[in-house]
Amino acid sequence: MFNVLKLSLAAILIFASLGSSACGDSRTVPTAVASSNPFAAVKGIVDPDNHGWPRTVEVLNGKVTIPSKPQRILTVSLGHDEVTYALVPAQRVVAVGEFTKKDEYSNVAKMSKDLPVVTRDPERITSFNPDIVIVSAYSKPELVASLNNVGILVVQTELNNHFDGRVNDILLMGYIYGEEQRALAFAVEVTNRSKELSEFVKGKTGVKPRVISLVSFSDKIYTAGKDSTEGEIIEMAGAVNLASEAGLEHNPIISLESVIAMSPDVILVTEPEPSASEFIQKLRTNKVLAEVPAVKNNRIYVAVPRYFTTLSFWNLRGAEETAKIIWPELKDKQYQEFSFPR
Amino acid sequence: MSIVSLLKISKHTSLVSRLALALSLLIAALMIAVIIAVSLGPVSIPFSATVSVILSHLGIPTGVDVGVTDRRIIDYIRLPRIIVAGMVGLALALSGATMQALFRNPMADPGIIGVSAGGAAGAVLSIALGFSGNFYLAQPLLGFAGSMGAAFLVYFLSIIGGRFSMSTLLLVGIAVSSFLGAIISTVLIIVPDTNSLREIVFWLAGGLDSRTWEHVQISAPFILTGSTLLMLMSRELNLLMIGDDEARSMGISLNIVRPILLVLASLITGVAVSVSGTIAFVGLIVPHIIRLVVGPDHRILMPVSALGGAVFMILADTLARIIIEPAEFSVGIITSLIGAPFFLFLLIANKRNTGSF
Repeated sequence: MFNVLKLSLAAILIFASLGSSACGDSRTVPTAVASSNPFAAVKGIVDPDNHGWPRTVEVLNGKVTIPSKPQRILTVSLGHDEVTYALVPAQRVVAVGEFTKKDEYSNVAKMSKDLPVVTRDPERITSFNPDIVIVSAYSKPELVASLNNVGILVVQTELNNHFDGRVNDILLMGYIYGEEQRALAFAVEVTNRSKELSEFVKGKTGVKPRVISLVSFSDKIYTAGKDSTEGEIIEMAGAVNLASEAGLEHNPIISLESVIAMSPDVILVTEPEPSASEFIQKLRTNKVLAEVPAVKNNRIYVAVPRYFTTLSFWNLRGAEETAKIIWPELKDKQYQEFSFPR
Repeated sequence: MSIVSLLKISKHTSLVSRLALALSLLIAALMIAVIIAVSLGPVSIPFSATVSVILSHLGIPTGVDVGVTDRRIIDYIRLPRIIVAGMVGLALALSGATMQALFRNPMADPGIIGVSAGGAAGAVLSIALGFSGNFYLAQPLLGFAGSMGAAFLVYFLSIIGGRFSMSTLLLVGIAVSSFLGAIISTVLIIVPDTNSLREIVFWLAGGLDSRTWEHVQISAPFILTGSTLLMLMSRELNLLMIGDDEARSMGISLNIVRPILLVLASLITGVAVSVSGTIAFVGLIVPHIIRLVVGPDHRILMPVSALGGAVFMILADTLARIIIEPAEFSVGIITSLIGAPFFLFLLIANKRNTGSF
């Protein structure tokens, strides 16, 4: 799978450099795509040569045919909103979820601040008269069925937790929205950013910094192990994710004693303020942690939570910011924000 | 000869001897449980160091050199957690033993008659209304108020025509628990602050992770006072078990004794729930197991249940700490995994004996 995606990305880069257009209202296939179709490896596209309407995708709720280019788009997950805003002009989004409007969790809060809030109530969703509704894997099948019953087109897709999957998300959603050209260009932008970071990391020899990600809620401490968003970000930044190394998966609860046992060089706190600073203060003043390298050397940092808690390409920004924290030579580097369609 | 056989033989000996024997064994079990619990954890600490730290707290110097970090881990992470676990187990077991005598029902426990749900509702409201952030005693106090409110509601609704009804009690308990569960769900839906919502959700998951000396300070005065008073009322519990008329004939004023027992049981349950979340079945299974061994006399049953509950919770929490180390498992799941089959066993045994549930 990874090799297929790598090949796909190579094709994307070639395609993008040719500057070809992949859009159209007929079933004609652009010349560049015909020889090397970058959508061929995108999971979920039924006929990658079809760039006209109607078009069909095979997603979590089965095969869904999209009759025409969606103009009124509504998604019910933050990750989907972030990908959507990266692909289509903002005015095509008709409403967003509550979390999308929250600065601490969302990377598109400013763009969506004037939009109405949508809940997962089918009646409320229907009231916005959307052409298409994108729901995540976590949405109930009943919601999909209710919306289908009132004639609303629903596409249920999974947001991937790994970098190659995120590029797939961008291309698939670009295809769904009829924005293949923008999706390709944006996939190239994201891939180049990722490549830049991974090349820097490859050039680092010697011992990798040992990092742990922590959040605290109601006296419980959660970390991020294998197959977690934060864990992937830490590894992308070139560090060892200690929770993953300890055999932990996803986001389990751990004790302070486990933090001592893992002995991190750096602790990333990925929760919003003010609780992040309060938690860091607790860690710094806790006598038990005094000998932990991250505490001893004052290397506990608040990570921007909106880069860590979402499931979208914005996680790459989290990896870039983490790299700035753990690699002294990147300390003053200014990474740009991602582009948005005009 | 097994410990159980020893205790069963000792049923023929005097009350004081049986109590002394049972307490001696349970105190020894408690000490072993504490040493096991203190010894195990993600950081490997030499056993000699563990024993040395414990003995030093008891004023017995050992001369063993213990590292600063190891000592801090034991003193500030493991010991407070173990003490909270012990107190929660003690409170729930005593509360269960009290409820079973009070309602003359072997299946009564703080959870089944709504006391735990009341404590949880009180604690959840204290978070949702922002009280717990401003006043550190708000959560245990509201937990206590919720427990007591639920207990009294169930109790008074179970009195039909001036007489207390067992079957009504269980049905009312189920209804009150469901109602309080609905209140908690409503709070989860309408609470406007995301941080409070998260706090409630994570609190409801229960558990003893990250318990500190503050939790010990908050809960110890209430639980130890309430538990001592309950144990002092063991004679009254014995008389209540025989029957209302017999209790009255022995000079017990049911209108005074029952509410006092309810208040005390609710107090210790509410406070325990407020520092640990809802932990099921401890109040049900511990008194039962103890009763099977030492008999139904509450003068022995109560103190032994208290110690048994503490030992059970400390061991269950130790299991929760190490079973998927370095991650934490939920102690509530462990107690339920043991307690639910035991509860079913009791139901079936009861059916065999009485012909009905």
